[in-house]
Amino acid sequence: MVQKKVCMLGASAVGKTSLVRRFVDRMFFSEIYKTTVGVSVDKKQIQVNGKDVTLVLWDIHGDDVYEKVRVSTFRGMSGYLLVADGTRRQTLEEALALSNRVTESMGKIPAVLVLNKCDLAEQWEIEASRETALATSGWSILHTSAKTGEAVEQAFMNLAQAMLAI
Amino acid sequence: MAEQAQRRAPVSQAPENPPEDQQALEELRHLIVAPEQEGLQELRDRLDSVERRAEDVSTVVAEAIQMRREQGDDRALAEALAPTIQETLRESVRRDPHVLADALFPVMGPAIRKSISEALRSMLESFNEALEHSLSWRGIQWRIEAYRTGKSFAEIVLMHSLLYRVEQVFLIHRETGLVLNHVVAPAVATQDPDMVAGMLSAIQQFVRDSFNSGRNEALGSLNFEELEVWIEESPDAVIAAVIRGHAPADYRLAMKEALENIQQHYSSALANFQGDTGPFRGAGDRLNHLLEARYKEKQESRRKPRAVIAVAVAVLAILGGWIAYSTYLLIEWSRFLHALHEQPGIVVLGYTKEGGRFHLQALRDPLAADPAKLLAEAKIDRERAVLELTPFYSVDDSIVLRRATERLHPPAGVKLFEKDGELRAEGIAPPAWIAEFRERAPWIAGVNAVDTSHLQNADLVELNRLKGEIEATVLLFPLGRAELETGQEGALAQALINIQAVFVEAQRLNGTVSLDVIGHSDSTGAEAANLPLSRQRADVILGNLHRAGLKSAALQARGAGTAEPLRPEDSEEGRRYNRSVTFKVAFSPASPVN
Repeated sequence: MVQKKVCMLGASAVGKTSLVRRFVDRMFFSEIYKTTVGVSVDKKQIQVNGKDVTLVLWDIHGDDVYEKVRVSTFRGMSGYLLVADGTRRQTLEEALALSNRVTESMGKIPAVLVLNKCDLAEQWEIEASRETALATSGWSILHTSAKTGEAVEQAFMNLAQAMLAI
Repeated sequence: MAEQAQRRAPVSQAPENPPEDQQALEELRHLIVAPEQEGLQELRDRLDSVERRAEDVSTVVAEAIQMRREQGDDRALAEALAPTIQETLRESVRRDPHVLADALFPVMGPAIRKSISEALRSMLESFNEALEHSLSWRGIQWRIEAYRTGKSFAEIVLMHSLLYRVEQVFLIHRETGLVLNHVVAPAVATQDPDMVAGMLSAIQQFVRDSFNSGRNEALGSLNFEELEVWIEESPDAVIAAVIRGHAPADYRLAMKEALENIQQHYSSALANFQGDTGPFRGAGDRLNHLLEARYKEKQESRRKPRAVIAVAVAVLAILGGWIAYSTYLLIEWSRFLHALHEQPGIVVLGYTKEGGRFHLQALRDPLAADPAKLLAEAKIDRERAVLELTPFYSVDDSIVLRRATERLHPPAGVKLFEKDGELRAEGIAPPAWIAEFRERAPWIAGVNAVDTSHLQNADLVELNRLKGEIEATVLLFPLGRAELETGQEGALAQALINIQAVFVEAQRLNGTVSLDVIGHSDSTGAEAANLPLSRQRADVILGNLHRAGLKSAALQARGAGTAEPLRPEDSEEGRRYNRSVTFKVAFSPASPVN
């Protein structure tokens, strides 16, 4: 059995917890842990290329007050889901800044950029050109909706495959 | 060297040289590369020879395995060897089972004995604990406490009897916070260890960040009511022990030792950890040693029997008291039932006992005794009995008599009697009541017949008394003569008074009286003479009545001769009485009442 620590990174209210809730079978810890300890841990077992992998998901509080805490919680992670709200352009920039901080402290590690809330297409703020540029720079990008479940499973699968590939 | 030779070869083949040069060159080549070529040939031969290759490997295979294990990657080796070893064992058993049996014989017996004794010990300990706590006073108290606090009995027992018990031990990879191994004490409910370990790591980091602690500083313990989490860290691993109760300080030393051991043994696997927890399965034994439990010393074993005896005596006393009280209640209830059966107007249909209360079903005449009073007389708590009474009319003699008495209100001087449905009135009563009695009594439930023969009309009492006296009067006459016997004057005078009085009383009652004056004779002499003689005697008395002023047509004289003798004539005294005059009074009331 292989276990992988995965962090959910992103600005506040982008839907990190909703994505975890959608992905895992049941939430183990309530959100109160996020606001008190700064993180809530859940897990899900999946199969990647016929291999059992347990993803231990660290859902990290998106508030800047916990910035310092967050850096320490990155430690030991095998990959991360970088979450941005597609209806708020600013959250993408915040997510990328966060990703830069991860790279600075830990080097390059597998990640998937998730543009969440794709069910709100009419409010979408992130231009296709911006996405293309990010993809060109090496980002694996997925449009997800925690509300409808669209591409949620896929995002975690992509990340798991990337983690196992190294 | 071979490469050098190969690189050099094209150079030597490029131009065409004369044969002597070729020979010289060949000699030179031999001088320069011959040793290497021989060495190469030697290596080639060695590699091509299976025997020699096996010989070579046999000299290093033990060291190689040892080295691999020291690197902490013995799992791959085990996985590689497992099929071969399994197949070898299978083949060995197939060929000759005795070989393996002989090999295992020295260890199988002790292993089985150890396993059985461990299982028995564990079972006995559990049984003793359960028995002790279930039957003791303390056990009862703890059950009450468990009921009061909503905790399970097992939890309460643990809380009171346990010094400490290590319920879970986590081996966590320090960097990632992932669980490498996790052991749990028997019968301990646990949450998902991966997530618990993750949160523990998060809390560790949270505390470290919050208080600007260094990387090597760590949270030593967490406390939550009777639970404690002790944490020990090494460079790459963390051991977290979940302890119920308070473990001694030297338990932390045990944790440290185990952790150091693991860190040392798995240093390579820990450093290169990529999420595969397989290599750490072997650490389970070390962690299992940390699953300790210590129970409180049993308190003064001498006191326990006394306490047990006291409790047993108390229980027996309560039980005995309860049985005695129940028996007493049953006896009292039987008495009450018996009394109820004796009561006229009450018919017991049956009774049941539900919820500690007697339920009585009975029929009760409204005039019968009140069962509630009988219950009180039997000293039975009214709350312990439910009386389900259905009203009915009883035909019991006493109840019918009571009912008749209540309905008819007999006047003083009249007494009612009842037997087998016949109601009898005796005494003197006003005519109106007598009439009412005759009319109403037959309608009373249980009365089938009415007897008034012993009832007298109060108005006729004096008349009847006078009538009786007159009719009892016998005026005597001598033999063969129609004059009163000497000495009969007084009786005649009294008779006259009574006859006058009866006429007066009849007049008062608005009735009429007729008086027959009857003359009698004895049987001596001829009958033809006796009849006129008896008539003469009646006429003599009638004459006296006339002379006394009684000249009513209602007075009649007649002679009965010997036809109506007063006494048998077997003696002179009898014959004397038959020589007499008697009276017969008849009263006719204005309205017939009696």
